[in-house]
Amino acid sequence: MDRRRVNGPAGGTAPPVYASTLTGKTASAANRTRQPNEIRKIFVKTGLTPSASGSAYLELESSPATHHSKSLTNRTPALKLTCTVHGPRPLPRSAPFSPQLLLSTRVKFAPFAARQRRGYIPDASEKDLAAHLETALRGVLIGERWPKSGVDVVVTVLEGEEDCPLEALAEGNQGGRIGGWGLMSILSGCITVASAAVTDAGIDCVDLITGGVAAIVRQPSAPLQLVLDPCPSDHEEIVAACVIGYLQSRDEVTELWAKGNISPSSSGKETKPLCFETLVDLAVEAANGARRVLVEAIKESTEAKLESSAVG
Amino acid sequence: MPPTIPPLLSPSELSYLHTSLSLTPPIRPDARSPTSFRPLVAETDLLPAANGSARLCFADGTEAIVGVKGEVEKTTNTTTTGGRSGGKGGGKGGGIDVIDMDVDEVEEVGSGGEGRWIEVSVDMPGQRDDDAMVVFLGEMIHEGLVADQFLQNRLVINNRWHWRLYIDILLLSPPLTYPLPLLSLTTHLALLSTHLPAPVQGLEKDDDPLFNDDWDAAVPLYPPSTPTNPPNPTSNTNSNKKPTTARPPITLLVISIGSNIFFDPSHAELAVADSVVAVTIASSSSSSSNEAEDLSLLAVRTIDPPSRLSSSSSTTDADAGREEEEGVWKAKKGGVRRDVLGRMIGMCTERGGVGAEVLSGLEGFT
Repeated sequence: MDRRRVNGPAGGTAPPVYASTLTGKTASAANRTRQPNEIRKIFVKTGLTPSASGSAYLELESSPATHHSKSLTNRTPALKLTCTVHGPRPLPRSAPFSPQLLLSTRVKFAPFAARQRRGYIPDASEKDLAAHLETALRGVLIGERWPKSGVDVVVTVLEGEEDCPLEALAEGNQGGRIGGWGLMSILSGCITVASAAVTDAGIDCVDLITGGVAAIVRQPSAPLQLVLDPCPSDHEEIVAACVIGYLQSRDEVTELWAKGNISPSSSGKETKPLCFETLVDLAVEAANGARRVLVEAIKESTEAKLESSAVG
Repeated sequence: MPPTIPPLLSPSELSYLHTSLSLTPPIRPDARSPTSFRPLVAETDLLPAANGSARLCFADGTEAIVGVKGEVEKTTNTTTTGGRSGGKGGGKGGGIDVIDMDVDEVEEVGSGGEGRWIEVSVDMPGQRDDDAMVVFLGEMIHEGLVADQFLQNRLVINNRWHWRLYIDILLLSPPLTYPLPLLSLTTHLALLSTHLPAPVQGLEKDDDPLFNDDWDAAVPLYPPSTPTNPPNPTSNTNSNKKPTTARPPITLLVISIGSNIFFDPSHAELAVADSVVAVTIASSSSSSSNEAEDLSLLAVRTIDPPSRLSSSSSTTDADAGREEEEGVWKAKKGGVRRDVLGRMIGMCTERGGVGAEVLSGLEGFT
């Protein structure tokens, strides 16, 4: 027995479990107040980080507060992303010759982004997101105009989404290292915000790329349904989801990530078959919605820049 | 994420490849048809210390070994029996083992299988294990395996115990082409040959499991696709379900050049691809009664085509539609058109399509 230190009890202890103060068993957190074809309101602003050559901030509103969401644990999360673009800047002398702009992307969750703390070392899901973002952006950048240079695109997730309804989260049923559906909305947001930041940095692109998500969800006591821009905590179960990085003016897709159990072709009975093609079409619709916001935001910041340069 | 080392082909070689591949009908460098695969050599059950294993060797010399090992693990859950909603505040912090949970409750959460019971690790020579490509490949294979809930649910032993499956993928050769199809096909074969020890019957529902030490009595992880399936012996919760003919998923690499679509691209073909898509498919487990098996689509991912990294590429909006133009080939900017994408998926999943053919071909190995 070491008497110089404060010793813990000899046996193990169990953490105390308090009785619930919430009324009602689950208070049904899984309810979507939006229409199936309605995306969340998007806020985008560019040029917020003065030290970077281009930057943008994107926020998706959280679901409106309802009576049971007074408790902190029941608050539905929003999505807040910032993106900074550093460069184009010359590659270090030691790097081999590159005929075009070298793109490197990084997606990082802030430690406080989600209910569970994230460490500073990027984990597999963050690297995976970064790989997706790079695929999405490389198609749109016109890299040959910057030989021998590199650009870093860094997206920081300030507030991310939970992967599943809160009851399931409490059961520890989070689904493991990756595979959270929340990642798909985050990727879509990352694409949009990175596009805004790249535009703000003045790097030439073939088009404005925007991200969109659509999903097949199962609502309590309802058949499978197609929704745009799913918020994972709004739905009981997401069957399949699809993120797209879409170039509207060229009608092209640079990034597509779909997963879940999707029937590949329509059976031809319903008006809106729950098949892959419909899912992609809806994701494109969501991306078009995001593009409208993005164009406005870029226009606004360009006007502001013009004004300030006229004054100065 | 550059998939491979940028191709060491001269601009005229690239131009030649691209022209011959965008003809109708296209001419591939090795004279295959667009949907045919290169020959491959495979063997299964070669590692005596693993529960299941496979080795696959493509004609171009790329080779992979997959070992599957199972471990019995205690199921931990953060719920406490009485305070289901009370546990919410703590999030995942608790870590209290559930001793007596309702059986109904487990069934309600989809009979308990969790994606993280399956661990996929990829090892490639000359790559760090946190390299973007290694992570990407591992995630992709994992994503396909867990997409159709079958494997997770199969790992449940009872309410307190489950199998943890380690799938270790070892690429033996240097990654000449994008190794995804190789790794996914090898994983498929290894999983088909995986046997887990049979539990001793007649125990109480939530007792600690005991296993039959006769290796011949071991049960296959994926039951063979005979019409009379034995009742699922590894799991009590699953035994009342209808017999399924579930198979592990496979991932196909599909590329498009112009409006042509190619399967199983070689190194040279990848170097001029306009778009690269990885499609994960599996025979759909719900259609066991159907004669013609439908395929279900589990995951689709676009992959950064290596052509964008090649030296000469400068196509911009000003010269749209210049693909017919003579001269040095330049990688296309922008993405893939939606109709081409739809066709790529369609060719993988349609009845009697490439996906069905590959799956039936792999069936021959078991």
